[in-house]
Amino acid sequence: MSYRPLIGNPMPQLALHGVVKTYGQTRALDGAALELRGGEIHALMGENGAGKSTLIRILAGLEVPDAGQITMNGAPVALPSPAAAEGLGLRFLHQELQIVSALSVAENMHLTHPYPSSGFGLVRWGALRASAKAALERLGITHIDPRATMGDLGPGDQMLARIAATLVDTKGPRPWAYVLDEPTAALTGAEAERLFAALLTLRAAGHAILYVSHRMDEVLRLSDRVTVLRDGRHVSTMGRDQVSREQIIQDMTGRDFATLYPPASAPTETAPLLQVRSLQSGILRDIAFTVNAGEVLGLAGLSGSGRNHLLRALMGAVPRQGQVLIKGAQLGHGPAAAWAVGLAYVPRERRAEGLMLLQPLADTVALPHMPALSTAGFVRRAWIAHLVARLVQTVRLKAQSQAQVAAELSGGNQQKVLFARALAGPPVVLLLDEPTRGVDVGAKFDIYATIRGLTAQGVGLVIVSSDLPELIGLCDRIGILHSGRLTQIVPAAGLTEGALLALCYEKEVA
Amino acid sequence: MTYSITRRGLSRALVLAAGFAALGGGAALAAGEKIAVITPYLSQPGTQFYVEAFEARAKELGWEVNVIDTQGDVAAVISRIEDVVAQGVNGIVINVDPAQIGAGLDAAAAANIPVVGMDAGADPRIKANVTSNGYEMAAVTSVYIANRIGGAGGVVMFTFDAFPPVQVRGVIADAVFKNYPDIKVLDRITPDVSDGGIADSRAKMEALLAANPEPGSIKAVWAAWDQPALGALQAIEAAGRQNEGIVITGIDANPQARDAIAAGGNFEASVAQDFKGIGSTAADTLARVLGGEVLKANVIYVPTQLVTSVNAK
Amino acid sequence: MVRFLRHYGTLMGMAAIIVVFWVLLPDTFMTARNWLNITQQVSMLTVVAVAMTVVMVVGDFDLSVGSMASLAGIVAAVLFTLGFSVPAALAVALGVGLVGGLVNGVLVSVIGILPFVATLATLTMYSGAAFILSGGKTIFGRDIPQAFGDFAKSGLPLGSLGDKPFVLPWLTVLALALTAVIFVVLELSTYGRRLYAIGGNAEAARLAGVRVTFLRLTAYGFTGVGAAVAGLMYAARVASANPTQGEGLMLNAIAAVFLGMTLTRHGQPRVLASVLGVLVLGIMDNGLTQLQVDSYVREVLVGLIILLAVSISALGRKAIGRR
Repeated sequence: MSYRPLIGNPMPQLALHGVVKTYGQTRALDGAALELRGGEIHALMGENGAGKSTLIRILAGLEVPDAGQITMNGAPVALPSPAAAEGLGLRFLHQELQIVSALSVAENMHLTHPYPSSGFGLVRWGALRASAKAALERLGITHIDPRATMGDLGPGDQMLARIAATLVDTKGPRPWAYVLDEPTAALTGAEAERLFAALLTLRAAGHAILYVSHRMDEVLRLSDRVTVLRDGRHVSTMGRDQVSREQIIQDMTGRDFATLYPPASAPTETAPLLQVRSLQSGILRDIAFTVNAGEVLGLAGLSGSGRNHLLRALMGAVPRQGQVLIKGAQLGHGPAAAWAVGLAYVPRERRAEGLMLLQPLADTVALPHMPALSTAGFVRRAWIAHLVARLVQTVRLKAQSQAQVAAELSGGNQQKVLFARALAGPPVVLLLDEPTRGVDVGAKFDIYATIRGLTAQGVGLVIVSSDLPELIGLCDRIGILHSGRLTQIVPAAGLTEGALLALCYEKEVA
Repeated sequence: MTYSITRRGLSRALVLAAGFAALGGGAALAAGEKIAVITPYLSQPGTQFYVEAFEARAKELGWEVNVIDTQGDVAAVISRIEDVVAQGVNGIVINVDPAQIGAGLDAAAAANIPVVGMDAGADPRIKANVTSNGYEMAAVTSVYIANRIGGAGGVVMFTFDAFPPVQVRGVIADAVFKNYPDIKVLDRITPDVSDGGIADSRAKMEALLAANPEPGSIKAVWAAWDQPALGALQAIEAAGRQNEGIVITGIDANPQARDAIAAGGNFEASVAQDFKGIGSTAADTLARVLGGEVLKANVIYVPTQLVTSVNAK
Repeated sequence: MVRFLRHYGTLMGMAAIIVVFWVLLPDTFMTARNWLNITQQVSMLTVVAVAMTVVMVVGDFDLSVGSMASLAGIVAAVLFTLGFSVPAALAVALGVGLVGGLVNGVLVSVIGILPFVATLATLTMYSGAAFILSGGKTIFGRDIPQAFGDFAKSGLPLGSLGDKPFVLPWLTVLALALTAVIFVVLELSTYGRRLYAIGGNAEAARLAGVRVTFLRLTAYGFTGVGAAVAGLMYAARVASANPTQGEGLMLNAIAAVFLGMTLTRHGQPRVLASVLGVLVLGIMDNGLTQLQVDSYVREVLVGLIILLAVSISALGRKAIGRR
């Protein structure tokens, strides 16, 4: 039952040097390098477009580089196919996990392995569950029932089950290296903690972990070494003792960031823009708060506390009871009514809830504002073009043209399309749900600058974010949600990340 | 007995007629004429027979035949006529009601391309429609009955005057029976045809049998098509009166009717259309038109064939 | 190369088909009269395909258009036999189309049945209704007013061509007019842009204030009325009405829209692209008939062309997705 560690064998080591990869006119990689050793957590950092994804696709055998060497324990190897990558002991966990929601955890963990069988093709369910349970325990995981349906699990547990699935197979090439791309993007704090514990277990057993994340705090906490890419080139590889937040940001951007969060300007007026009284919706009970002009209210809470449900209820995307006043006037039901009075929204899932991926970005920007951008039911294309041109400047959106489709943009620029849409109204109150999720540092800074610009103009903001430093850096006040109730609203000034986290957990601990 | 001889005679006559047509019309033709056969009904058995016979005859004439099946789509028949007119075919053969494809016939007429119908219906824009003679078929069966019952006795008629091709059959039977002073038409029934006519005809016949319980009071049943004949047969057998010598005839000789006739019961005769003859005669007729002949009659009848227990199978 | 094929493959394929027919049929294919014939032959399919484009923009489709076309023709013909005037009968038939389309819309959008299931069910219902109204028979001859049948045989005189008058058939004119209407609706109106938004991402559209349920419902009104118009055009062309005569329209219309989608940059349904798709089908029928290709072989060829176009499009998308 105990997991046989790799220690004792010489530490495996995989290295890539001088990797070049060109797509058409674009040089995605231009001298990238990476060295991965057993027994380390190695962070791969870089802005969107720096070449992280391409490098990972090369490691996975999905792309063949135009030039460069790949060596395993010093001997040259080739990675022409995903099977070759698997043969070298590499395993990949993508942001969108490959799971079958309707099957059990145990079955999901055996999808790529033969099920234990009694002959005649009959599955031995007991053996299947035992095998899954053993694999989970190797990661120190006991809270996941192999009989549970995969779709009922949270994203964090799904990811743990996927990692454990790579430990099921005792035959064939042993996995020694795991590549995780933005693993915590969809996870709550508690889920992320469980993942980190599992990663540390793997490291202790001599495995290597290549960790790709935009979350600086995680990277600083977990990584033994950090490699930074910029414009397809290797910039630096730093050990734990050399690495610092400022240094990573400087290497990633090539710019010197004095500080990530621009200074807040003093609120110009204090007229209440958004008043919420005894709001009920889903698990939400008796929610009451006020957002004044130029003010930023943050909403913190654990996953399942109702944070993003609250924003959806304000937008009218889900039914609600209670009073919502915009500039003192009762807000009607439905998203159309919300947009009409200047309540704007940047949803959490930009691809699923915000963008029309295959349509011109100008169409996405104009959609909620159609009544103002048309006469007698006919679209005024010139007005839209004019408006979008101005907004592209405001949010610093990098796109070839207004007709470019969102699918062709990077994550950060996709998010900026939704910001442009939210600003088009112009907004009275702006609701932001995880505004910088999966966004690179440069785009993050642009988004923060945009937010500051809005507060200076007297727009009120409500921000939901799992990134606690971001909340503290951006907000004037932070509301804490516990299972559907807004328990307290605290000033952000002087708050530390630890203190905020403690507030979020308070009820749970007590 | 006499009829089987007639049948053979008819076939010979047909072969001869075809031969003459080939000599008369075909001689003037160069081989390699392009002919289009356009039909929405190729999957129906009758249509298949005459299209195949047309092709066989056309092959002898050295024609290049393109058979186009629009699979039930009548508008597509118009479209395909327009296409082959553009292509410049020498002749077109159709088997759909000309009233439905007027636009296509206009296009052919404008390009001086002759159109011949196979069982299609008459229209001034069609040089000739080759079909079976409904009057003749009714005459054959009604006379068969008159002869079998010795020109005397009660006769039940099943007709359907709402449908023109069937209505003409009833007219002839009326005239034939009227011509025999001792034949009495007991009833002239129009059955409900929503299911083809068998069930309602049987019900009507059962009522008539009940109303005429004396053996011999009903001598014969004349039906304008096969289904009422089959319904009447069922009624007679169910009533246990199959040995009274009631004579039943139908028209069309569909497979079910042929089985009943072959079984040798009360259902004694029906009339079959000569589908192959329609096909080959249509080819010969087209050959005459292409040879420059101006046809006097724009409907050409192909003889039909009486089906009795002798030739039902 | 793959991207080039994907963007221009279908267009080049269309050009190639036309060139092949032109070469093989030097005297008869590339003539004004033949092209007028083609436009008239595809006029009904055009109407159904552009209407079908509206629901496909929303991401749905409608299988009931064929039986609705039959039903509309039967409704008009039955009303003719009852002595209704031509305009009154046509108005009722179009009304039946609108109601039938909206019924589909309610089933799909409000009740939430999958379009395939809902419109498959209404396909058989509308077809059954056509059989009930007609008693299963073809209504033709004196029952059909002369003016109704003549409409399909005449057209808009546009001077003369050689020795013959040059006439743009009314059926073609009608198809062009309806194409123009749907083009304006989809491309220029806020309504159309919202339909595209729903098709692009229904949840995102809802959060952006688009009344998704209602608009999705109304899109089916277009296919219902479009199918009814096509059914009446068909009835006029054959001067008769038969409860099955529209059947062929449905699959061809969906095929035409799919062919059209391979022409657009991101594989979206667009009105003019659908019309090109219809033309490909019409040109294939016309040219292959003239070449005396067996009608069953013709069907296999048409299917192959659709597969080829869609395959090139799919391969191109894969190549782009790999970046």
